[in-house]
This record gives sequence, C-alpha cells and structure tokens, in this order.
Amino acid sequence: MTGAAGSSFRERAEVQLANARMRANVAVAVDQRERGRRAIFDGLDHAGLVGAAQAIRDHTLARLDRYLGEFARNAEARGTKVFFAADAAEAVGYVRDLLAARGVRLVAKSKSMVTEEIELNRGLAEFGAEVVETDLGEYLVQLAGEAPSHITAPAVHMSRGEIAALLSRRHGRRLPEDPEALTGFVRGVLRETFLAAGVGISGVNFAVAETGSFVTVTNEGNGRMVTSLPPVHVAIMGMERIVPSFRDLGLMLPMLVASSVGRPVTAYLSFVNGPRRPGEVDGPEEVHVVVLDNGRSAILRSAYRSVLRCIRCGACQNVCPVYRQVGGHGYGSVYAGPIGAVVTPLLQGRDRAGDLPFASSLCGACDEVCPVGIPLSGHLLGLRADAVRGKGLADPETAAWRAWAAAWRRPETYRLTGLVARLGQLPLARGGRISRAPFPLSRWTGGRDLPAAAGETFRARWERRLRRG
Amino acid sequence: MDRTAFLRQVRGELRGTRAPERPPAWPATPASGSARGPAAVLAFLEALAGVGGVGRAVARQALAAAVTAAAAALPEGAGRTAVVAPDTDAWREAIDAGLAAAGVEPVRPAPDGWREAAAAAGMGITSAALGVASTGSVLIVPGPNTPRVAGLLPEAHLVLLPADQLVPGLEEAMPVLASLADRSSAPVLVTGPSRTSDIEMVTVFGAHGPRRLEVLLIG
Ligand code: SF4
Repeated sequence: MTGAAGSSFRERAEVQLANARMRANVAVAVDQRERGRRAIFDGLDHAGLVGAAQAIRDHTLARLDRYLGEFARNAEARGTKVFFAADAAEAVGYVRDLLAARGVRLVAKSKSMVTEEIELNRGLAEFGAEVVETDLGEYLVQLAGEAPSHITAPAVHMSRGEIAALLSRRHGRRLPEDPEALTGFVRGVLRETFLAAGVGISGVNFAVAETGSFVTVTNEGNGRMVTSLPPVHVAIMGMERIVPSFRDLGLMLPMLVASSVGRPVTAYLSFVNGPRRPGEVDGPEEVHVVVLDNGRSAILRSAYRSVLRCIRCGACQNVCPVYRQVGGHGYGSVYAGPIGAVVTPLLQGRDRAGDLPFASSLCGACDEVCPVGIPLSGHLLGLRADAVRGKGLADPETAAWRAWAAAWRRPETYRLTGLVARLGQLPLARGGRISRAPFPLSRWTGGRDLPAAAGETFRARWERRLRRG
Repeated sequence: MDRTAFLRQVRGELRGTRAPERPPAWPATPASGSARGPAAVLAFLEALAGVGGVGRAVARQALAAAVTAAAAALPEGAGRTAVVAPDTDAWREAIDAGLAAAGVEPVRPAPDGWREAAAAAGMGITSAALGVASTGSVLIVPGPNTPRVAGLLPEAHLVLLPADQLVPGLEEAMPVLASLADRSSAPVLVTGPSRTSDIEMVTVFGAHGPRRLEVLLIG
C-alpha cells in the first residue's frame, strides 16, 4: 500500500514528526472539521441519531447477501452491469479489460478510498492508461507523487507556495500563490480531461438495494462530471456500502456529511440510476459497478464485524491525538486514523500492519464522534490483545500493561498510580505540559508534549462538588 | 468471481446472525426541516445564502426582471450566451425578454449540440423538480428536456422552481428520488455553487461546476 513497504509505524512517524508544517496544517484542518461537526449536532439528539444509523448498518450487514443480490438485480434491470470481485486483482482486471476492449487511454477519476485500497491507478498505469485524479487535493498530491494526508483534505500538508511552484513546474508557466487563481487554473486543465476521457471512475458512498441506484457525495462537482461526461462510467464499491432503501439515505447522508465536514449536505449529492435512457440528451452509454470483497467477508464472521458499519466520514481521524501528530502519511496505509488502525490489519493481514493498533492512546475520543457507533478503541484493544497473545509475558511491554491493568482494576491501587504520577512529574511539568520525560516516556515526549496530570484528581474534585451540593 | 459463489460466501460468514430491525423513525437530523409555505421559502433562501448561493422569491410577473439581474451578475469573462433547457418552456417569454435586457443571447441547442454550447455558455438555465427548505438544495432531474450539462458546464446556473415545490427537509425528498429510479438516469441534489477548500482550507467557488448558483422561487 501507499509508501508503506517495509517500514514500521514508528519509522514513518519519525519522518512525519520532523515535518513541522505538515503537523501544524493537519492540526488546523482537523480542528476546523471537528468544530464544524460539533456545531452542527449542537442541540440535536446525537446519541439517538447514532443509535438509528447503527441499527440501519447492523441490519444491512446481517443480511448483506440478500441486499447485495437485490441491488444487483435492480441495477441490472435498469441497464447497469454489475461485477462481483473477490479481491483487488479481480477488480483491477475487470477495469483493465474494459479499457482494453474500448481502446481507452485516458481515465478521469473522482476520489475513492476503495480504488486506493486496490491500487487501481497503479494497475491501470502499468497497462498504459493515464488516470487523472479530479478532486483538486487528490490531483495535487498525484502531481507531486505523494499520498493524501487527510481523508477530506488530501493536500492539506502543502502550502499555497508549494502548490503554485508545483503547478508552474508541471505546466510550464508562472502561476500566482493565490488559492482562487490556482483553483481556476486546475479547473481549466481538468475540464479538458473530463471532456476527453474515455472512462470515468468513481467510488460509491451508498448503494440502494431497492432500486439498484447509488450516490456519490462531493462539493467540487467532480463526482458529477466523472459520472456524466465520459461515455463509460465505472463505479467501484466495497460490498458493505449498501442501504436497503432511499428512506435510509434520509438519515445516512446527513450523518455522513455532517460528521465529515459539518454541513447537512454537500454541494452535489449525485445519484446514478443506470446509463443514459432513450431520449435523454446526455450521460454515459454504459454504467458498470464493481462490488468488492477483498477481505471484507472474513470480517463479517469476526468479533470486528462492526467496523463494516463505517461510512468513511473521517470524524474519528479529526479527534485522534495520534493522527493529529503524524497525519495520514504516518500510517502508511490507505485508511488512516483510528478506523485505519482497526481496518488495515483486518484487510491486509496482521503480519503486514500488525503494529497499527498500537498507534493509539486509547483515549476513546473516536468512539464518541463515530456516527455509526463503532467501538473503535475497544476494537484496538482487541487487536492488541490478539497480537500480544502470540507474544507471551516475556515482552516487557506486555508485562508493563498487565501491571497497569491489574493496578487500575482496584480503586486503592488506581489512586496510588495517580499519586505517583502527580508527584513524579513535579520536576518535569512547565506550564501544564511535559515536554521532556525520562526513558521510556521520552519516546512519547520526543514528538509531542504530554499534558501534565491535573494537580487535583477528578475523584477529589467530584467528591468536593458532591459535598458542596 | 461468480456471483452465486460470492453471495454464498457472504451468507456462509453470516450464518446464525440475527438482524436487528431498522428504526421506524429517528430524531431530527442536521438536514431535517419542518417549515412549510412562506416559512419554507424563507428557510430555503437563508440556507442557500449560507452556502454561497443566491436565492430570490419572485412573482411570475417579475420573472423577466429577475432573469435580467441574474444575467447581469455573470462573472467577468464569462460567455455572453445562456443555454436554456426545454424544461423551462413554460417561462420562455420571460426568460428571453430578461436575457435580452442584459445583452445575453439565449441558445436552445439541438440534442447533439448541447455539450459544446453548454461548455461555451456563461449561463445554463434549467428548472428543478423540487427544493429542500432546510438545506437550500434543488433537485435537478435530467431527461429529454433537461440535459445534464446545462447545470454543469456553464459558469453560472440559474434554476427556476415554483415556490410550492418546496419540501421541509431532506427526508421528504427521498420518496421522490426513489420514484425517479425509473424516470431519470441521474438525478442530482445541488446545494450552492461548486466549491473546494483544498488549498490551505480557503473556500473557492467554481471548483469544477458553476461558480455561481442562483435559484428563483416563482410564487
Ligand atoms: S469509523 Fe466511524 S468516525 Fe471513523 S470514518 Fe468510519 S464512520 Fe467515520
């Protein structure tokens, strides 16, 4: 997967920690997104909404075979071709054959996580096709040969100066360091791509079983372009991306968009009901949907099934203290942040990404924001337990965690650890932060500050409040 | 992979799983609404303004003047033509008079001329099937009289919508979308102009689609 080959989370994280500006930009982006999320749910029954969304997802997952069958039948009845792919190779092969049969060289693509998961661009490039990403941020990171640093703000690690230099270099003309002018320039370049491409490729945010329809969600409108202008449209979806009916979208769409960007809807909620109908003026002559398993069915049976509820909103990343420090690049995987740390080892195999579940402070912030109620920190713990079960007690980290767990299980010893922490930190804390700590804590404070433990414990404060009444 | 084998594999992994019921109802979402009638018009205009769109409630007699104002606001350098979708034929006289007063030429291309004409046009004019009061969204339904490109390629998109076609919230638009599955290949809910904030989180309009979106609620 993206740039991950052979390196560990710690190695990649150290590289990213050196990139101070990336960290600052990611922090600004995630804070802005989280503020927006909070504001839009303010005054609404968030827990009630999450409960309903979770029930819809669990209901669908428990009958996934039936809903997938229904989706395929209804999509085909409206002229869409549906292909079921067991793995990445089958999915990429299907698209490649499609390009070959039509002699297509230029592909316009809108942002899709699942196509990154199957490394579709590489697979098609090897075959000689040019695949152009059309989401502005994705286009920029593709041009720079980099990976997206944030799920809804892929180029947030680049400054306007860098973007101007990059575009100027690639297009042989001097462009001003102005977001509006730069966006306008890219609009012109990509407009030609949309009109010239032989195939448009998109992801699928939700597919609807009752009609065989599906929807893409964008602000830029590139999803609408990709699904409307080229003569052939191919949509690729993870097999869990389904809802039973349009009615469910009345809840799921706002939950996705609000959790992602803090708005009720995006600029374009673009539905596809099949290829252009007789009499319609425009639209693709062919629509294909590739339904991908690629390790998902095995998750259905496991204790981790609820990760398949995920609607890829990115809210868990925006509140994650680890993500904030290392950004999307640090994970070395397509799916980053808490959801990435859970789903990547499940999809890729624990031998390849087994260290990701350890890239978390288990603070639980992700659990609170997830619009479909995935117990992310619980799953992280479960994956750690699975990993450590193979290691045994000889590992010093295992021994330390066991001691910690034992201590925190009993109130007396719990209070004792808090006292030790407050006394032990006295020489280290400056202004409420600890920037330097002795080994092994130095591995933590080398990259970030540790908030000093509060002078008074929560328990003590709570008891005082109770006394006050 | 063979479809039957694929689905059989999924079924096998699910053996013994009980499906929870889907919720019969849920609390208000960020896209829910309750406004109807004149209150819906106000809610719609406010929501649309909040995402950088322009909305106006106009009486039918004032439609030509509103079209003139919309055409006069075309961005500098935009083409001085407006492609007009046949789905607006009920308002044809007012549209043509309004455009003429702003010096913008109406174009009604033949079916195979739409793409080129829309790409060159400063403005595309279409109708909408409904509007969502809580979000300021309009539902565009492509078909024989509504080319997709009309609202996609020009610099500005002018949408005409009878004011009594507003629904309170997104949930109320869903049955309509479901019923369109057999009638249109690709309906779209459009909310404000195309936009991006991918460069340093600065919002810029006109990422790919129209830079300017104006909705006239005709009462
Ligand atoms: S796990 Fe939850 S919060 Fe994270 S991306 Fe998925 S749906 Fe969003």
